[in-house]
Amino acid sequence: MSKKNKTIILGIESSCDETAAALVKVEADSPRSTRVVAGRFKILAGVVASQIKIHQKFGGVVPEVAARNHVKNILPVVSQALAKAKIKPAKIDKIAVTTGPGLITSLMVGTETAKVLAYAWKKPICSINHLKAHLYANWLTGEKIKFPAICLIVSGGHTDLILVKNQTTFKKIGQTIDDAAGEAFDKVAQLLKIGYPGGPIISQLAKKGNPKAFNFARPMINSDNFNFSFSGLKTSVLYTVQKLKKIDPKITADLCASFQQAAIDVLTSKTMKAAINYQAKTIMISGGVAANKLLRQTMEAKAKKAGLNFLMPDSALCTDNAAMIAVAGYFTKPTAWQKLRVDPNWEL
Amino acid sequence: MIITKSEKQTFELGKKLAKKLRGGEVLALSGELGAGKTILVKGIAAGLGIKKIITSPTFVLMKVYQLRARTLKLKANKLVHIDCYRLTNAQAIIDIGAKEYFNRPDAITVIEWPEKIKEVLPRQKMNIKLSLRHNFNQREITLK
Repeated sequence: MSKKNKTIILGIESSCDETAAALVKVEADSPRSTRVVAGRFKILAGVVASQIKIHQKFGGVVPEVAARNHVKNILPVVSQALAKAKIKPAKIDKIAVTTGPGLITSLMVGTETAKVLAYAWKKPICSINHLKAHLYANWLTGEKIKFPAICLIVSGGHTDLILVKNQTTFKKIGQTIDDAAGEAFDKVAQLLKIGYPGGPIISQLAKKGNPKAFNFARPMINSDNFNFSFSGLKTSVLYTVQKLKKIDPKITADLCASFQQAAIDVLTSKTMKAAINYQAKTIMISGGVAANKLLRQTMEAKAKKAGLNFLMPDSALCTDNAAMIAVAGYFTKPTAWQKLRVDPNWEL
Repeated sequence: MIITKSEKQTFELGKKLAKKLRGGEVLALSGELGAGKTILVKGIAAGLGIKKIITSPTFVLMKVYQLRARTLKLKANKLVHIDCYRLTNAQAIIDIGAKEYFNRPDAITVIEWPEKIKEVLPRQKMNIKLSLRHNFNQREITLK
């Protein structure tokens, strides 16, 4: 066995409000092959410093506050990851860092830190698209992926359907035409005055509610493309709330359950439609909203019923993390650190 | 004051409005949730020849779209879409560099929820107010 069939990658992520670093070990099939099948990726260490508590009182991420906390957290997070993995910098083969899309001030912190490390440690560095990395989180499930696959990436900033042709060829086939699904969760939580971030709070309250209590709009569920719209759903909740005379905890729970059901109906049925249309063998989900339990259960049930493979990363790997950045780094060519730039609007 | 009766009409109004833009304008778009601000921006973008889908910038605060069709009349080469919905003060807008686009001749800036960043808004701007009428399908749009 050649020495080089084992690659250790340091991933760094700071695109929004989580500062994260991870070390991932990749074992290639044969010394010559650069292609690996899923299952050969092993997370040696993953550290995430979340700022949710800090941003809670603002009802959303504040760029300047986020950037300041990234600066504070980034080096401790990287050194913790190294210590946890018991890896010396000399053992690292490659550094991978998120350079977009995201908040520019946040992206800068991770990117500049990674550049300095690449220079100081003399390591190749590669620039990673955060969305592509969400997709690669599925490579960490340990399962063999049968292509083509359809991946639903659903988070606070994105709702995209991606056709995955093989390990490195992706095509966006659908997206939201207005708000992201996660944004709708946040906005609905805000108009019900139940706090931030909306996703976990709504799904918690929804457990006690009746998903059929209110019949909210399911925008574009029958449209003949693979796009989504969540702005109309949010407005539909708003109008319903404005018409209600009083809102007690029972009604709030019903509103949460009905809204969540509507959002999940649209997400899962569009994903299934895409899978059938592209004759996909596998369905994958990722992104912060993919941590939603009901979405996971519903999507899995629908995929199984259609006889398709279904993959989903652990909840902690669906939300922002650095292990997925490291996996994406394995499939990405290095760039000279001098040329690495952040791009807050980078599309997949 | 203009009254639009459907999403389509609001969109068409945005398209028409776009034809009047040259570059350097700042459009302050106010109106409650669901008033149709995003639809109007979609119309403006379409009128400027942008093919990309305009999505909500709430999460990232600002999205920049390149304009391809520069004509003699249109000097701008980008549309800057800013959303201040979740902000409590204007500092964040300065931090992400959004303020630097205001009134720049090569940029057209559209700001949703401008009332949240009053203190940094330029004096030279176009105020557009969208409000819902009692009948939920109708919108009152005022330009100043």
